[in-house]
Amino acid sequence: MTTPMLEIRDLHVRVEEREILKGVNLVLPAGEVHAIMGRNGSGKSTLSYVLAGRDGYEITSGEVLMDGQNILDLDPNERATAGLFLAFQYPIEIPGVSTMTFLKAAINAQLKARGEAVLSTPDFMRAVKDAGASLQINSDMLKRALNVGFSGGEKKRAEILQMALLKPKLCVLDETDSGLDIDALRIVSDGVNALRSPTRSMLVITHYQRLLNYIVPDVVHVFSDGRIVKSGGKELALELEAEGYAGFSEAAA
Amino acid sequence: MALQIPVRIGPAEQSLIDQLNSVGATAEATRFAVIGLPTRKVESYHYTDLKQLLRTVPPLASVATSASPPALRIAGAHQLMIANGAVQESSTAPAGVIVGKTAGSALGPRDDLLVRLNSALATETLSLVLESSVDPVIQIDRRTEGPAGHAADSARIFVADGASATIVETYSGSNEPHLTNHASFVQLGKGATLTHITVDLSSKSTTHFATSEYLLAEGARLRTLTIHAGAGLARSQVFARFAGERAHADFTGLNLVGDGQHGDITIDISHAVPNTTSKEIFKAIARGRSKAVFQGRIVVARDAQKTDAKMMMQGLMLSDEAEILSKPELEIYADDVVCGHGSTCGALDEDHMFYLMSRGVPKAEAETMLVRGFLAELTDPIVDAALKEALEAVLDGWLGG
Ligand SMILES: Nc1ncnc2c1ncn2[C@@H]1O[C@H](COP(=O)(O)OP(=O)(O)OP(=O)(O)O)[C@@H](O)[C@H]1O
Ligand SMILES: [Mg+2]
Repeated sequence: MTTPMLEIRDLHVRVEEREILKGVNLVLPAGEVHAIMGRNGSGKSTLSYVLAGRDGYEITSGEVLMDGQNILDLDPNERATAGLFLAFQYPIEIPGVSTMTFLKAAINAQLKARGEAVLSTPDFMRAVKDAGASLQINSDMLKRALNVGFSGGEKKRAEILQMALLKPKLCVLDETDSGLDIDALRIVSDGVNALRSPTRSMLVITHYQRLLNYIVPDVVHVFSDGRIVKSGGKELALELEAEGYAGFSEAAA
Repeated sequence: MALQIPVRIGPAEQSLIDQLNSVGATAEATRFAVIGLPTRKVESYHYTDLKQLLRTVPPLASVATSASPPALRIAGAHQLMIANGAVQESSTAPAGVIVGKTAGSALGPRDDLLVRLNSALATETLSLVLESSVDPVIQIDRRTEGPAGHAADSARIFVADGASATIVETYSGSNEPHLTNHASFVQLGKGATLTHITVDLSSKSTTHFATSEYLLAEGARLRTLTIHAGAGLARSQVFARFAGERAHADFTGLNLVGDGQHGDITIDISHAVPNTTSKEIFKAIARGRSKAVFQGRIVVARDAQKTDAKMMMQGLMLSDEAEILSKPELEIYADDVVCGHGSTCGALDEDHMFYLMSRGVPKAEAETMLVRGFLAELTDPIVDAALKEALEAVLDGWLGG
C-alpha cells in the first residue's frame, strides 16, 4: 500500500490543561479530498493548528505523519516547506507588510529551503497575476498590507491565492467557505478544484454541506468532542444536514 | 525664593564648569556649579539622569584634521558639513539655497541644560535659507572627528514662504567617547513645507545630544523624523511652536537601542494659536539590556481653539531585559480641541509570527519582516526614493547588527 499523504494516529492534545483532542485517527491518501464536519468547539481548528505547528498546544500522545514523515517536531515553516498549507479560519492581519512583499518572501523562502532557484521578479509578478485573475483578486488588494482591511470574503480568497502560489501537497482548509457570498463560494471552490491532483490531498473543514456540492469529497468525517466519530461517503454530509450532530456524539459514547 | 544649596560636583560636572569658564561663559559656569547635571528629580530628565549617566566629559574638541567616511550616502543629495563644531566650506549650493555662517548658537534661550551648554559652547552656526522649492535633498553631515572631544554645533534653517525642501541631518564621527551637542533652529514661513530628518549614526562610545527647535508660520507643513541608531547614550529634544493658524506637523521618531544603550526622545509641542494640527508617532525598539525613553508633552494654549493633536508611542521589546518607558503629557487650556494620546508596548505578535512561518518564512526572516512592518509607518511618508532607501538601509543595518 502506498504511503498516505496524512496519517494521524491517536492524537491527544491539551490546551491550558484541558484536553481538546481526544484521540484523533485519520488516514488521508494521496490525491483524495476529505471533509471534516462537526459542531462548534469540537476541536476542528485546534486540529488544523496542531497540524500547522502553532505554539501553545501540548501534544500528550500520538503521531502525525505527512507523506510518511513525522512532522510534530518541525517548526511551522519547515512543515510548510515540506508541503503543508493551512488556509486559516480567521486569516491574520499584518499591518506594515504588503501582500506582495509577503507573497514573494513566502514563495522564495520555500524554494530556497528546497534548494531550488528563487523566482525572478517578473516571473513572480506573472505567477501572482495569473493566480489572482482566476480568483478575481485585483492588484490594488495585493498592494495593501497583508489582510488589513480585507473583507471576510477577500481574506478567504487571498488564502486560496497563497495556496495556489505555494503549491502545497497537503492543504488544510479551515472553514474557507464561511463568510463567502454565493459567487465567491463558486470562485473559491473552482480555485480549490483546480488544485486537485493525484499528488495533492485536501482536508476540508466546513459546517455546510453546500460547499461539498462544489468541492466533492471522497470521504466525510464527523468530528465530535475531540475525535472522529464516524466516517463515510459524501452522502454522510447530507445525513448530517438533515439530522444534526446529536445522533453522532452518542455514537461515540 | 528657596535658597539653592550647591550640589556635590562630580568629575564630569567639574570638566563642564572648566570648559564654560575657558570660553568666557562665567555666568553659566557659576550657575551650573550650583545646580550640577540634572538628576531624576528634574522632571524633564526623570528617566535620563545625567548625573548618573554622564561620568566623564572629554576636552573641548579641536579642529578636525581627518574625516571618517560619510555615515549615510544619499544618492543625489547636496552635502554640507560641520566638523567638530566648525562649518566647512561647501561647493556651490543648489538653486534656491543660500548657505552662510553666523556667530554663536541658533537656539533661543531656554531653561534646559543641553540648550544652555549649546548656547555657551557653539561658536558658529551654519545658516541655510531656502528661498523656493529645492529639489535635491540637502544633507547636513555633522561629524566629530579625531580624539575624544566635546563638540557643540549649530544650524539655522529658514524655509521661506511657500518654499519646500527635504533636509537630512546625520551625526557621526570617529569611534571615540565624544560628547556631542547639536542644535538646529528651524523656521517655516507661511505655507512652507519641510521634511526634516535627523539620524544619529555616531559610534556606540559617543554620547549624543541634539536639540531641534521648530517655529511654524501660518499654513506651514512640517514632517520630522528623529532616528537614534548609534550613540551609547542619546537624547534628542524637539521643541516646536505653532505660531500661525492652519499649520500642520507630523512629528515622528524612532529610538533604536541595543545592549548597554540608553536612548531618550523628548518632545515638547506648543499649539499656541487656533486651528493647528499635529500628529506625533514615536516608536522604539529595544533589545539586549537597554533603555528607550519617550517623553511627549503637548501644550494647547487657552486661545488655541480647534487644535487637533494626536500622539502615539509604540514600543517593541526584543528582549526581556529591555526597558521602554513612555510618558505622554497633555496640557490643555482651550476647551474646543481634539487631543489624545496612546501608548502600546510589547514583543512581536505571536499570531503574526505563526502566520508568516506557516507560509514557509523562517523565524529570523519573519521577525525582520514584522519589524520592518512596524517601522513602515515612519518611512512610508518619505517621498524621495533615494532617501527612503538610505534610511531603510540604516534600519536594516541596525536590525542585522
Ligand atoms: N488557546 C485556547 N485556550 C483555551 N481554550 C481553547 C484555546 N483554543 C481552543 N480552545 C477551546 O478548544 C475547543 C475547541 O476549539 P476549536 O477552535 O478547535 O473548535 P472548532 O471545532 O474549530 O469550532 P468552530 O466550528 O466554532 O470553529 C473550544 O472549546 C475552545 O474554546
Ligand atoms: Mg474552527
